[in-house]
Amino acid sequence: MNYMPGTASLIEDIDKKHLVLLRDGRTLIGILRSIDQFANLVLHQTVERIHVGKQFGDIPRGIFVVRGENVVLLGEVDLDKERDQILQRVSIEEILEEQRTEQQAKQESKRLKLQAVKERGLSIPKADTLDDF
Amino acid sequence: MISFQSLNEDCTLEEEGLVEEEDDIDQFNDDTFGAGAIDDDWQEQHARLAELDELVRDDPEESGDAASTGSTAHTSALPPPASSSCLYSDIDEREGGDLAESLTRLILGSDPAIAVVGTASSNKSHLPPMLSSQTHPSALASQSSLLLSYQRQQKLLHRGSASLSQINSHSIWENNMGFSPVSVNSGLVNQTEDSPLMSIIKEVGLPKRPPALGREEGQDFSERVPPPRSSSPVIGSPPVRAVPIGTPPKQPMSQVYNHQHNHPSAVHVRASMPLRYPPPFPERLSPNDLLSIANSQLSHSPFPAGVGPVLSQIQRAQLLNAQFQRGPGPLLQGGVGGFRPFFGQSGPRVSLHGPPLSHAPIRHNTTHLHPQHRRMLNQRMQSRGSVDHVGGRGVGERKNRDPYSNLMTEREKEWVARIQMMQLQSTDPYLDDYYYQNYYEKMEKRQERDRDNRKEHTTKLITPQVAKLEHTYRPVQFAGSLGKLTVSSVNNPRKMIDAVVTTRSDDEEKREKQVWNKRRQILYTVEKMYSLLLEVQDFEKKFLQTPEHQRDALLEQHKTNTLQLYNSLREKEWDDRVSDEQCLMIMSVRKGKRLISRLLPLLSQPQAAAVVMAIAKNLPALAKKDKHDQVLCWLVEPVTVVIQSMSSTSLTDLLQELQSSEGQLPRVLQNKFGVTLLYLILSEGERMQSSDPNCQLMDDNRWTELVFSVTRELLKVPSSALSSPMFTPPNLVSLFSRYVDRQRLELLQEKLQITDLSR
Repeated sequence: MNYMPGTASLIEDIDKKHLVLLRDGRTLIGILRSIDQFANLVLHQTVERIHVGKQFGDIPRGIFVVRGENVVLLGEVDLDKERDQILQRVSIEEILEEQRTEQQAKQESKRLKLQAVKERGLSIPKADTLDDF
Repeated sequence: MISFQSLNEDCTLEEEGLVEEEDDIDQFNDDTFGAGAIDDDWQEQHARLAELDELVRDDPEESGDAASTGSTAHTSALPPPASSSCLYSDIDEREGGDLAESLTRLILGSDPAIAVVGTASSNKSHLPPMLSSQTHPSALASQSSLLLSYQRQQKLLHRGSASLSQINSHSIWENNMGFSPVSVNSGLVNQTEDSPLMSIIKEVGLPKRPPALGREEGQDFSERVPPPRSSSPVIGSPPVRAVPIGTPPKQPMSQVYNHQHNHPSAVHVRASMPLRYPPPFPERLSPNDLLSIANSQLSHSPFPAGVGPVLSQIQRAQLLNAQFQRGPGPLLQGGVGGFRPFFGQSGPRVSLHGPPLSHAPIRHNTTHLHPQHRRMLNQRMQSRGSVDHVGGRGVGERKNRDPYSNLMTEREKEWVARIQMMQLQSTDPYLDDYYYQNYYEKMEKRQERDRDNRKEHTTKLITPQVAKLEHTYRPVQFAGSLGKLTVSSVNNPRKMIDAVVTTRSDDEEKREKQVWNKRRQILYTVEKMYSLLLEVQDFEKKFLQTPEHQRDALLEQHKTNTLQLYNSLREKEWDDRVSDEQCLMIMSVRKGKRLISRLLPLLSQPQAAAVVMAIAKNLPALAKKDKHDQVLCWLVEPVTVVIQSMSSTSLTDLLQELQSSEGQLPRVLQNKFGVTLLYLILSEGERMQSSDPNCQLMDDNRWTELVFSVTRELLKVPSSALSSPMFTPPNLVSLFSRYVDRQRLELLQEKLQITDLSR
């Protein structure tokens, strides 16, 4: 039933499996159960999926209530396509380990870059923790 | 979480400590609460509360302890923490659904529009009578209760002996106090006796209600109307709704919940959901009809549902699921009824993907859409429908396996959609959704152009216009009284303070302010003229829109608008000419120049000519003022049009104006716009001369003389001082060739060739 023709509405997405990307970078996959006018979402049987390279790991989280303003995007998961996934699924510990390594590598490269820049007498202003602006 | 035993010990310890400080506390009590008679009331009330608690709670020991501790306490400080923390732990055990429910109702009942803060302060002095009175609970009573709890809290904190549990219980109170004043109703008291707020209210001494423990199973709590809102006067405020717009549709949760707790054997699930809102049309939606079938396409769930369905909503959803697993179920009827009050159209029936689908296309209230838009939607719908028919069977089998589907009922979905639709209502579609309207109009025109033979595309735009309700608020006045009542609300705020403006006597500031005032005045005039101008320019579009009989009225309005525009350029009423000063004043502002450029095409010839004359005469001044804005060049286009329609005499006059004052011409030549204007005039003159041999241009010598002076100036002025024009008309050379010899002509040609590119 099309409630709002010509518009984008979440009403038709209810009770379907969705992938939600949050502003803090997390990826949640769950069944969208309920919405409201602010696009606050209720996700059921949610799983937080961590992607590192070509691997991913799932952490079961249960029921999530997400405040609408923290959602970057969300989309319905095609169950058929999900079955034929290219990415390799690993255990949670493994993926967390991978994530940690990736973070470390990033930090290291950032540090090196900063050092190199400093040597040349330039300076990069440090970005604030607020990533809104 | 909170062990009740320890709490008790703490209470008794404190009690002993309290007895010593009784004097202080009593004094404090007396100041705030008045005579000691109040204490008696407290005792009485608390005794009653204890009895109630006994009945409600399963464990009689706890309530007995609470009662004993309560009755021996002198101050009112202790019993509430004790009982509330007991209750708090109690609440913790349950799912907290009751609390949520009661709090929701509290929020529903509150009215932020009316400032009850005023009553709170006045209430402090009237507290004693309030407490003992048995008046109908109102916002005041609850406010007093909140005040009391607040004071209790203060005392406790002041003593600094509050144990953790007490602080915890205070935090609940803080939360409760965070909500604005509550208009508590008897219904609330009946519903649940467990929330801490309720206990406070009981102690305050609200009228006694019989504890509705022996509730009949059939009692329908969802039918109960929430307490009437204390609301601002209807005039100027949005219509008072029984339930605020933002509240979700009500669920009959409480009854199921309590029954679950008290009688675990009988699980009473309400499968029917009566309508809360007054139905806009007579048909009743049966619960069967409310369900939709098409949902839930899960094939697997990653984790088994370890959580047993405790909430009634899930139970209901499951039951309903079970009921309707067989068969496609009835078609959803009248699901769009909720939109009727908004659009005033009879919403066509909506049909689902089912066997009898094809003949009834889904046409949701699309009257507000552009017809082109609607057509496109229908096409899409049909294509989707044909695809879904094939896939529908496969899906239908899967969806039945999801026990958690339909958690969000149709009502709730409609409610969300309704809120989103509300934003689409518009009183003036052109104003609210200009780009949407224009886009579809263009699309229509394009299609018409491409496929000329298809006649069906010539449709008129039908936009439902919600009537613009005039909300004029006139404050209530009593005859013979001084002043007006100050009843303010969100929509008609009243002044609280009369601020008097005192002028500063500083001279320079005065001058500066004068300048600013003048500028503001100019801007104000410009704004007003702009609104008129826009009305006039939109006239054509509107004209096409309005039906036949209203066209005359529109025409009349258009005439008055244009007339007003003309008049605004005149300074004095009797002077029919365009006032120079007025024009200049307007042109001193950037916006004004833009305005003039848009206005010139609409003016009549003599008026437009007069404006251009004024511009020419004062060009140096204008140029100087324009240095900052650089927008004089906007005027070139309309001025060109005007010049081309000028007569020869006026053209000569114009050229004269351009050189009227001393040293004007050099300055004109320095300005881009000036040079362009000059060239335009000359080019027009040349055109006149060459096209029409016996034109009046050469009748008197003025034109010739003026051209001579121009050539002299052009030759005199150095190339660097000559500004490059926006464009150089080609016939200037032929013009000059009439008047000057070859040598000079070549020099002039050089000057003429100065363009933007050559610089």
